[in-house]
Amino acid sequence: MYCCIFQRLSESLERSLCENTSTLGAKSEGCNKKVGGSSYSSQADRVRENTSAEVCVHYKHLINIFYGSPQVCRIINRYILGTPMQDYSKMWQTALIEIQTGVSQANFSTWFKETNIVKEEEGTIYLGVPNSFTQEWLVKKFHNSILRILRQMNEHVRALEYVIVKDESGKKSEMNKKSANTPTMSMPLQDFYINKEDNLNPRYTFENFVVGPFNELAHAASQTVIKSPGAIYNPLFIYGSTGRGKTHLIQAVGNQIKKVYPNKKVYYMTSERFGSEFFVAIQDGKVQPFKDRYRKYDVMIMDDVQFFSHKEKFQEELFHFFNTFHDTGRQLVFSSDRHPNVIPGLEDRLRGRFSVGMIVDIPEPDHESRMAIVQTKCAVHSITLSTEIIEIISNSIEDNIREIEGIINVIACQTQLRNRELSVNEIKNILKNSAKPKKTVQIKDIVKIISDFYNIDEDSIYNKTRRKEVVRPRQVLMYILREDFSISFPSIGEKLGGRDHTTVIHSYEKIKEELKGDPVLSQEINQVRSML
Amino acid sequence: MKLEINFQKLKETVLLIDKVANKHLTLPVLSCILIEVKKNTAIFKATNLDVGIEVSVPVKANEDGVLAVPASILSSFVSQIFNDNQVAKLETVSNNLNLTTSKSKGTIKTVPFEDFPSIPQVVDGQSFSLAPELFVKGLKSVWYSSSVSSVKPELSSVYVYSDGNNLIFAATDSFRLAEKKIKTSSTSRISDILIPFKNIPDIIRVLENMGENADIQLSKNLISFKARDIYLVSRLIDGVFPDYRQIIPKNFSTEAVLLKQDLINALKISNIFSDKFNQIHMVVDPKGKVFEVQTKNNDVGENNTTVDAALTGEKIEINFNYKYVADCFQSIEADSVSLQLSGVNRPMVIRPVSGDQSFMYLAMPMNR
Repeated sequence: MYCCIFQRLSESLERSLCENTSTLGAKSEGCNKKVGGSSYSSQADRVRENTSAEVCVHYKHLINIFYGSPQVCRIINRYILGTPMQDYSKMWQTALIEIQTGVSQANFSTWFKETNIVKEEEGTIYLGVPNSFTQEWLVKKFHNSILRILRQMNEHVRALEYVIVKDESGKKSEMNKKSANTPTMSMPLQDFYINKEDNLNPRYTFENFVVGPFNELAHAASQTVIKSPGAIYNPLFIYGSTGRGKTHLIQAVGNQIKKVYPNKKVYYMTSERFGSEFFVAIQDGKVQPFKDRYRKYDVMIMDDVQFFSHKEKFQEELFHFFNTFHDTGRQLVFSSDRHPNVIPGLEDRLRGRFSVGMIVDIPEPDHESRMAIVQTKCAVHSITLSTEIIEIISNSIEDNIREIEGIINVIACQTQLRNRELSVNEIKNILKNSAKPKKTVQIKDIVKIISDFYNIDEDSIYNKTRRKEVVRPRQVLMYILREDFSISFPSIGEKLGGRDHTTVIHSYEKIKEELKGDPVLSQEINQVRSML
Repeated sequence: MKLEINFQKLKETVLLIDKVANKHLTLPVLSCILIEVKKNTAIFKATNLDVGIEVSVPVKANEDGVLAVPASILSSFVSQIFNDNQVAKLETVSNNLNLTTSKSKGTIKTVPFEDFPSIPQVVDGQSFSLAPELFVKGLKSVWYSSSVSSVKPELSSVYVYSDGNNLIFAATDSFRLAEKKIKTSSTSRISDILIPFKNIPDIIRVLENMGENADIQLSKNLISFKARDIYLVSRLIDGVFPDYRQIIPKNFSTEAVLLKQDLINALKISNIFSDKFNQIHMVVDPKGKVFEVQTKNNDVGENNTTVDAALTGEKIEINFNYKYVADCFQSIEADSVSLQLSGVNRPMVIRPVSGDQSFMYLAMPMNR
């Protein structure tokens, strides 16, 4: 019953506040057209005073009745205390008009032209200024008058602070044009911009991330994380084999969060680095500073967590680390080359925690996506390839985007050197030379991978034991040896502890049959295959 | 305002700071020098809102005061008076500055000084002290490699960071890169800074006049240098310099060691015949014992010059922009230099051989 009243009242309050704000906007625009200069601002002020007086009545009234209702408080906060961002610029524009009347034209255009309101926190307005000279001058000469004007406009303004903001007015497009015209090659500097504060490479953004059917789920999950960091998918766990764009995606999440929420501190690191820094911290007896250092971040992105496999001490630290982050609603993003459930030597409690949020797979890119990727990479190097050539490239490299990138680099370089487009044959040659040679794997290695994967003793595969936990891996092993490596049944039997070839045939057929109805098994086998 | 000042001191001060005072579109007073007189000290100030300089000079003041005079007029006036050994009298008389020397008397119109901005001080910054000449050496060794375009502010700056005992200066415009290590006595680390390229000439000029030791203060947006009577503050670029160390080739396939002067001469000859892109063609053939520089310009002619060199490694033919190679020799004091190459599309590393090894230079080759 009470809930219902809350709901309706807060709705009506919200509507009335909305209307007030919009009428205020409309009225002040009208004023702007009719009269300029000082009379405008005084009229606008009167309108504003009226509105805020009305709002205050509502506000006090409601506080008395519904004190403590979080919903109402939230709405009040949104409409009265925290003005949305676009209103700041409007507010500052209005303030500037008033300021302009009080200072000389020279002063105004020197000191006020490049200023804007960056943010507002608890009544403190943060004014963005281009440099320290401006800051110094505004503090010295205009601080009180600015503050007075802002206070007239919004009585909740209590203080005024200055921040020096970077000048980033779109200059990027020029750069590409220029480097294309000069005959001297330029250094690949853009690859080495790593921000020391957050370790993110600004090159990895969503603008240059190719979304295709194969990775759209991972992309969508990351977008959700960006929309509400720490709230919905926490942690976000992305896995897929090497060269599928995991690092690009998770760094893009970091870069995007930084852009959308300038206050959030983002940090990216590889698990290997976490491990080695922790190791050094233990050696120096400085574990606490290590912990404190990482816990101050709002978003933590950790790459390649499979590195933690079989490292119990690191896992324990990561576990505590995880809890601190997760409990305080701060976002965690992980990447790994396999599903957490099949990372060998990972503690169950950590495994469980990884699964709490969202686990997404980036599978092999499909043909169309590969073509799209080839085209995007070509555009980066400003080379154009015929559809035929794009087709050839995307057919010859199937599972690794990084290799596609490498091939395009070679093609771009050769095109530049020869100063003409490459022929189909030349491209085929490049592909032949740079494509990864087929790996030769020894049976012993496969046995090791499978026994690690199922967490059993390597020797038990060769032994006569028929324990259930050994039999299954052994059958999977036989299946893979037959299916992927076309080894004859008798020699498989011989290599695996002198078994009869009929045993091998039986195992092979059994797994093959089970695969038809058991998705878990097929996933397992694919995981094993990806590790070979 | 009314004072007497040593003329030599006045001249030095005005000529030191007048280049900072430039025409400013919106704030005319920035083309002025501000003179503040208080308790027998005159403070001369100039700023372009990127760099600010204050110089204090002892004077015999009869009357305190403040005034702003156009820098170009004042500096042209004092620079044409050559008898330094005298006392000059400065006096304001109804919006004019009367400057009286033994033989010449000038009356300069002043400008309202109220709009002259205050020069910011670095507060809560890191501070360390360093001999200004070392800082100047670091800047001079690399700053010509900065990018002149303003597209990427971090590249149109000199990057300074500390690494152990060294203060390292680096600059690149992405076609070449210069790095200089300066040994300092203190081990205190400073945070990485980016000094805007266009402020460097002012900084160098002022630091060269600072004497033995300067206190350097750093904050996120400002760097200041302070010696006994001079204070200089410059804006810093808030940005990230690329991790250039990853570009430096770790090994090389061809190396040539030559006398620096021989190479400079050969390059100068070849530049006469270079084309509009300043292209020079370099042939390094260790087997045939040839180091040759070739240029060709269809409108002018062509030239081949060989240089005596100790060569090792594989044969290579590679093209460079003359300017990008020749620029670095101003920073190399050693007699001989080593050129290390590792392929036709990889940068060439130039280092001094023997003696001071603290300088390193990379030049990117040309495509054609």
